[in-house]
Amino acid sequence: MSVIFSTMSRLFFVLMLVASVYMLFRGHNEPGGGFIGGLFAALAFALLALADSVKAARRALMIHPSVLIGAGLFLAFLSGLPGLLSDGSFLTHWWAEIGSVHVGTATAFDIGVFMVVIGGVLSLVFRFYEGVEQ
Amino acid sequence: MSFEWSILIALAGAVVARPAASLLGRSTGWVMSLVPLVIFASVFMQIGQVAEGEALVAQLSWVPSLGVDLAFRLDGFSLLFALLISGIGTLVTIYAGAYFADKPNAEIGRFLSLIMLFMAAMLGTVLSDNLIVMFVFWELTSLASFLLIGFDGHKEASRKSALQSLIVTGGGGLVLFAGILVIGMTLGTFSFTEVLARSDKLVASPWAGTIAVLVMIGAFTKSAQFPFHFWLPNAMAAPTPASAYLHSATMVKLGVFLLARFDGVFADMPAFGHTLVIIGSLSMVVAALQALRAEGFKAVLAQSTVASLGILVMLIGLTGEVAAVATVGFILAHALYKAALFFCAGTAIHATGEASLRKLGGLARFLPVTAVAAVLASLSMAGLPPFVGFISKEYLFEAQLSNDWNILPVVAAVLVNAVMVGVAGVVSIRPFYFKPERVTEVRHGETIGLLVGPLLLAAGGILIGIMPGPAAQWLIGPAASALHGRPIDVSFQLWHGLTPMLVLSILVVSIGAVIVVQWTRIHNTLRQYDTIYGWLGDRFYHKALNGVLGTARLSTQTLQNGDQHRYTSIVMLTVVAGLAFAFLAAPSTDFLAGEGSIRISVALVLLLTVIGAAATIMVRSLIAGLVSVGIVGFGSAVIFMLNGAPDLALTQIAVETLIVILMTAVLLKLPSRRRHSRSSAERRRDGMIAAGFAVMMFVALASIGVTPIDLRLSDYFGQTSYLEAYGRNVVNVILVDYRAIDTLGEIAVVALATIAAWGLLRGSLKPARTKE
Repeated sequence: MSVIFSTMSRLFFVLMLVASVYMLFRGHNEPGGGFIGGLFAALAFALLALADSVKAARRALMIHPSVLIGAGLFLAFLSGLPGLLSDGSFLTHWWAEIGSVHVGTATAFDIGVFMVVIGGVLSLVFRFYEGVEQ
Repeated sequence: MSFEWSILIALAGAVVARPAASLLGRSTGWVMSLVPLVIFASVFMQIGQVAEGEALVAQLSWVPSLGVDLAFRLDGFSLLFALLISGIGTLVTIYAGAYFADKPNAEIGRFLSLIMLFMAAMLGTVLSDNLIVMFVFWELTSLASFLLIGFDGHKEASRKSALQSLIVTGGGGLVLFAGILVIGMTLGTFSFTEVLARSDKLVASPWAGTIAVLVMIGAFTKSAQFPFHFWLPNAMAAPTPASAYLHSATMVKLGVFLLARFDGVFADMPAFGHTLVIIGSLSMVVAALQALRAEGFKAVLAQSTVASLGILVMLIGLTGEVAAVATVGFILAHALYKAALFFCAGTAIHATGEASLRKLGGLARFLPVTAVAAVLASLSMAGLPPFVGFISKEYLFEAQLSNDWNILPVVAAVLVNAVMVGVAGVVSIRPFYFKPERVTEVRHGETIGLLVGPLLLAAGGILIGIMPGPAAQWLIGPAASALHGRPIDVSFQLWHGLTPMLVLSILVVSIGAVIVVQWTRIHNTLRQYDTIYGWLGDRFYHKALNGVLGTARLSTQTLQNGDQHRYTSIVMLTVVAGLAFAFLAAPSTDFLAGEGSIRISVALVLLLTVIGAAATIMVRSLIAGLVSVGIVGFGSAVIFMLNGAPDLALTQIAVETLIVILMTAVLLKLPSRRRHSRSSAERRRDGMIAAGFAVMMFVALASIGVTPIDLRLSDYFGQTSYLEAYGRNVVNVILVDYRAIDTLGEIAVVALATIAAWGLLRGSLKPARTKE
């Protein structure tokens, strides 16, 4: 792998990760959201894996992708419980207004989606690369 | 504490069991038995109220839009079941703790966790008043049974038997579900109380026959009735505590439970009762023949269980008060003695490591208390006074004689009961008192944990036999009344006087005594008829299963030969054929009437994608092909953008980029040899498929375009998304709020699919490495 690609990929990795989080949180009002954000984040890690190594990408991710899948699914599920308790309706979201921004359990739900997408894509991408690397 | 909490307590027990086992080790069984004991106590406290004919009801709304409520109802019949489930559950937990004493703690934890899960499912099934809720718990018992039969997953026999029971009982459950749905469509309710109240309407409907058949199939599979009887003996692969609990005392009685419940609904449909009498009689005769031939300790008991279930099904088919009392009495008596006998069998097998009756003998020297319990329990099974088994058998004959059936079922019942006497004698006397030279040493003796269960159950059999009053008043009476639909005054007594029933009993015991004495000869004679027994057993099942697997193998070999090129071609051709068929079946030229102006920007991008597509077909090298496909992909993204779907465009771009990154990794490794590219004939064919697909897509899209679009939903979401969900991006608001439960389902699918693919990738890329 060329030095230029390798160096640039680090920069892109950070940029894409920031972009993905931005996508995630602006999603409620403008194009974006957990799914798209998750894809972008997964892209960032996939790029790192391609430019450097799967090992480095796994290190950067810190958590195992399959754990991320489970945690995301669980978070999305949990975000539905407050509504069940207060309104007797699962996934009826709670909202709070902080300044001009609305934050609620829907945000947690979207973060759950975000995590599932990252974990799902990366669990496959990493395995795929490892197979190719052999 | 209200009774419906018992299900939650059992579930909590299932969660706690594993960590508890790693903390408590060998005393886990004793501590965990508190869970079923608490349930037993809480149900026991309701006896007084229920015995007065009152049914306790609890309700929680679950899916109101579908008419599914978490409705629970405790009447005399479900109370009897709940007591059996929690009572025997307590003893099974204690027994299992001692049975697994020399196994790792994790093993005990896993087993008890499954037992608790099963208990929760069982309680849920018998307490539910809503048919859908009952079905969910019903299938959960099948799942728990599957996991327990396959508990020793490293043995092939365990896995096969587990799968067999799951296919039969789970499949039967689905048939039952179909029946429940038809009931719901006919009456507009899933509440069992209402179904019972409006049973005349149900029986009068044209669907009555269908419903009866579907419900019966569900019940017959669960209760191992002919021709679905074969799975139960195979289920003996489960650890013995599970066999005692699931496959004798509780789960297999669910079919009987269901039929008994529906007996009231189909009271005006004589064919229902007649079918039950015929199937029940057939099952008990087949099982009795198998019992005489079986060799394993547990196998003999399992066959006699099938026979007992046949007797119960037959009793439900009979009408009248006596039949109701006989059903309830037999359920109670059978649960007491059969669970005790399974416990004794488990202790004997555990002590010697031998499962065949032929190799066991003289165990009373090593297991004196177990031997006593086995004898007591088998005396009840044989139906001798003063045991409860005697009373229940008297009622059985009385119910038969008081119905105007012909003599055949009576003859069958006499013979089958005689075989039961024989089995009772053989499983108690032979392994414990005969042939002491067969076993000279044992690996484990009996411990208190192994003795509590069989002793208490056997003692219960005598106690109720000698003093039937309280049990009759508080348990059997209310349960029989609930079954019968009207209060019954139960006179459950040991001595009925000189009646025809007593004569039949004496006849049964005499024939039974002959069977005990002549057991070896009968056994050896029957073993010569292997072919007939093969067909009485599970040969049909294996034929059917092999047929299905063969068809699957054939279709896999044809359709999935491992060539991605071929898969894509097949999928594309199927879509083209389907669309072409739809179009030819309803020819219309409406789509040509579409109006609108051509936008230059869109047209330019489209032109670019068409060029990309054409290039994809023509180029030889893989890299050029990838780049061309990329043009199509990014072009589509731009089209989405230009048509006001930025979310879709972003996703498309992300996916395209991901494909590029993935493919780069592959391309870096692939040798760039010629045979990796397509021949010119292949490219021509691909081009034709692609062109055909494009034409069909054009026609489809154009005809969608001319259909008027209903904008009500779009308008609704557009107007309310900020007001109600504080988001201006309608797409995202729909995903995370309006239809969040759909999204939850979708991410669950994504999660499961990727985890499955992840496992496959590991398998194919790395050679299997064995641990340890």
